[in-house]
Amino acid sequence: MRTKSVITRLVAALAIGTSAPLFAQGNPIKIGVDTPLSGTYAPIGQQVKWGLELAAKEINAAGGVLGRPLQLTYEDGEANPAVATQKAEKLFQVDKVDFLTGTVNSGATLAVGQVAERNHRLMATTVSFADSITGDKCSPNVYRVNARAGQQSIALAEWLAKAKPKARVFFLGPDYEMGRSTVAAFKAAAEAKGAVTTGEVFAPLGNKDYSPFFGQIRAAHPDVLYTSVAGNDTVRLFSQLDEYGLLKGGMQIVGASGTVTSQNMGAIRKEAEGFVTGVGYSPEIDTPENRKFVKAFEAANKAPPDLYGADSYGVLYFYKAAVEKAKTTDTDKLRTAMADLEWMTPQGMKKMRAGDHQAIQDMYVVKLTGGEFKIISKVPGVAAIGPDECKRF
Amino acid sequence: MADMHGLIDTLQFVFAPQIVNGLSIGVAVILMALGLTIIFGLLDVINMAHGEFYALGAYLAVSLLAAGVNFWVCLVAVPVLMLPVGYVVERALIQRVFDRKDRHVLTLLLTFGLGVVLEDAFRVVYGPNTVRVDTPIGGAAQILGMYFPNYRLFVMAVGAAIVAAVWIVVFRTSMGAIVRAAAYDRQMASSLGVPVARVYSATFAFGIGLAGLAGVLLAPIYSVFPTMGKDFILLAFTVVIVGGLGSIKGAVIAGIVLMQIQALASLYISPVWTDPLLFGVMVLVLMWRPRGLFGALGNG
Amino acid sequence: MADAGSVIEAVRRSEDSRRRSLSAFALAFVAFGVAFAAIAAARGEVFFLRLATEALIFGGLALSADILLGYAGMLSLGQALFFGLGAYVSALVLKNVLPSFWLAMLVTLLVTTLIGLIAAVIATRARGVYFALITFGLAQVVAKVVFNTPSLGASDGIIGVPVIAIDLGVGQVTAASPAAFFLFCLAFIMALYCLCAYLARTPGGRVLAAIRSNEDRVPFLGYPVTRARMLAFVLAADVAALSGALYPVLRGFVSPELLYFEVSGNAIITVIIGGMGTLIGPLYGSALIVVLKSVIGSYTAHHLIVIGSLFVLAVIFFPQGLIGAVRPSLERRFALRAAPLRR
Repeated sequence: MRTKSVITRLVAALAIGTSAPLFAQGNPIKIGVDTPLSGTYAPIGQQVKWGLELAAKEINAAGGVLGRPLQLTYEDGEANPAVATQKAEKLFQVDKVDFLTGTVNSGATLAVGQVAERNHRLMATTVSFADSITGDKCSPNVYRVNARAGQQSIALAEWLAKAKPKARVFFLGPDYEMGRSTVAAFKAAAEAKGAVTTGEVFAPLGNKDYSPFFGQIRAAHPDVLYTSVAGNDTVRLFSQLDEYGLLKGGMQIVGASGTVTSQNMGAIRKEAEGFVTGVGYSPEIDTPENRKFVKAFEAANKAPPDLYGADSYGVLYFYKAAVEKAKTTDTDKLRTAMADLEWMTPQGMKKMRAGDHQAIQDMYVVKLTGGEFKIISKVPGVAAIGPDECKRF
Repeated sequence: MADMHGLIDTLQFVFAPQIVNGLSIGVAVILMALGLTIIFGLLDVINMAHGEFYALGAYLAVSLLAAGVNFWVCLVAVPVLMLPVGYVVERALIQRVFDRKDRHVLTLLLTFGLGVVLEDAFRVVYGPNTVRVDTPIGGAAQILGMYFPNYRLFVMAVGAAIVAAVWIVVFRTSMGAIVRAAAYDRQMASSLGVPVARVYSATFAFGIGLAGLAGVLLAPIYSVFPTMGKDFILLAFTVVIVGGLGSIKGAVIAGIVLMQIQALASLYISPVWTDPLLFGVMVLVLMWRPRGLFGALGNG
Repeated sequence: MADAGSVIEAVRRSEDSRRRSLSAFALAFVAFGVAFAAIAAARGEVFFLRLATEALIFGGLALSADILLGYAGMLSLGQALFFGLGAYVSALVLKNVLPSFWLAMLVTLLVTTLIGLIAAVIATRARGVYFALITFGLAQVVAKVVFNTPSLGASDGIIGVPVIAIDLGVGQVTAASPAAFFLFCLAFIMALYCLCAYLARTPGGRVLAAIRSNEDRVPFLGYPVTRARMLAFVLAADVAALSGALYPVLRGFVSPELLYFEVSGNAIITVIIGGMGTLIGPLYGSALIVVLKSVIGSYTAHHLIVIGSLFVLAVIFFPQGLIGAVRPSLERRFALRAAPLRR
């Protein structure tokens, strides 16, 4: 199987190679990838890597950017800001990368963004969804090509208002800044659409046991449980909800896009069935671009893309479009070119809002059905984007 | 009269579930604390890798279950498999530094290093993602209007049985007497013909076996992932310190009391602040009794 | 009488050669540092200079762990608490009050001394492993609180600490210049080292050493054990915090990860690998670990397995660490050189 795909790739390369000018030549454009390759977030880093590699391969096979090939350089940021900044400096100073991407957790994205600023280079995140990155902590050198938490909340609230009008909602979030702000954002969006709040609790991050909260949930008789826990916490929450019989009463569970992901879905395939969330990507999207992307991604990696893989694939096309528009990799000229830039991604056209460097894109509401996220609703980009709250530039 | 009703309702639907939940978490913490306190009581070793051995137990269960072994068999097989692991660790690592002057510190450092290695090894072997273990007993019981999963009731019962069994072994058998003698006075026991070195290794293995047992037993409730060892370790240390390092009675009583404080306090304060609260309790206990509530194993 | 005199003489001589060999290591460390800075600056190696600066900063943390472990026999598993405290205080002062380095250091010192005293009252009452576990718990609890406090930036930490110029009276060193700032940090950390090495030779320091070798007997000699332990604890807290205070000057941000157990654990690993009870060993250890991590890191993502195993081996086979492995031969040479002079 593997040999066969290598041969097909070789043949393809040769076929393209014969039409000489198409092959990327000249000095490579270097892209630094500062992403967690070890530790808890390594599976997300894996998707980032797969997405980037596929896009780089395609772009280079089609002649590169301004005739120059893209070259990816990886560093393990360990999802720890103290490590990620050190690796970012290495990428900028030693490897002399032109552009940086790959950061996952918001702490790392913010800190690495500052390194980019002080090194006078640009970076983009494809994973972090904390609103602050393109909100009150925005940076002229930091871009976000993926959807932020606010976009996800608005999309989910729109769907909720139609599917369960005036729903009684109970909120359960992890007790830290990100978890609280995600809950607050969805609560505001849902209440504006007529939902009623029946209670909210915050459990510590890395909470072992959610059963102490189940009494309150049971007593509140909610139609909908919203949660923004993530990772291992999600696994525990769902298995304990199941243990206590709370999944049987017809209560709809909705949540943040990071709550149930391809990383933890394997452990709770059965319990999380029916979970609904707002996201910026689904492999289900039925466009020629996405069908082609999913096929190529699965062929290359033997695994389907998730939102992280798709947005990491998209970021190189964003960079390519900007460089081709600016006709240079110079930071200031690129920044000008990136303002309100529109580019094609598996999700369709995205637009980089000049005011806060947040990508505007169509949003989807997806439901976990038979172990796969199926699209059940779509919200147009302009309806989900929310106001520009960046005041720094 | 209405007030009376309100009070009963509060007791039944607010406090009672919280108390039962506190008991269920308490059993988990006590199982961890038991191994820690026994190892310390006899060997004077703080096993910083105890959490990782708990994780190793859970991962062994994951492997065995994947190979088609029945959960109930795992519950017995994993602790048995952990015994030689503990024995070898004690022989190969702990014994090497045991006669040095700062063995407290050195053994703590050794087990700390071992924990670092084990945690990363779990990632290499099992990957970073969470693994679920299916609950072997489904369903839930309705007791006094409270809803409680059968498996948790089972865990509490097993936990109580394990505590009782450990108690009997240590305090009511001749094997236990040998262990306590070795803990009380090493030279004396040795001169009376007790094979002290082997008793040490066996006791360490026993403590590790308990950690492994806790790992299997709790895996269906708390799921399995590389850093799971860190979950209970701080609580377990707190319990062991409050109860008195080396005291079995202390670990059990402190485990129950502290987890009740945590469960009831979380009704009034944000759960995030219950950790500082427990820590504060620990500090107060230490100010009052610098060696914890109860004496050590050797003096038991 | 004559016997006692010659014993004292022998002890003094062995202490002398020990001190000389450690000073030689300290001088060599400075020489390595300066040579490295010269070469790296000439080649324009910004990254390596800043990486080495970070190694120095974490070396300062390890130094503080060695004051406790190597001199007072107190194993702290929570030095990251004070390192992070220093980093946060300095970041807050530089960002919100005034971008003045010395003000940040002064405030850090005052705050840490105060909090260090409170922590000392809690922790130094406990002995041996109790002390280790209490410092462990204390740091865990504080890290959790910082992680959940929005006014401290919660999980994201604080970014936007300005790049500052440090006024030296005769001139300025800007944190934006990698070589100059590296040399400044080298001087700063070595000053902390010299202070600690000096204090270790004072009567108070000797009490600590006595406590380490036999805690129960010291009170009978009339020395206040608890006070000596508390002073050592506060000194170590201050050294850790002042090192930590350099971190935001270098990196421009702080985050709760700086308070995590990994940082405390790393400091202990550094002390053991470098050489416990030498004060200079931890600085060598820190440099060695940074090199090891980047070398191993380029081969595997699982550098923890390698570092953890090295650590376990070091505890078993080289409890004296890097310095301990080299020192005996050096000390013999000093002893030979010193002996003829005395005769």
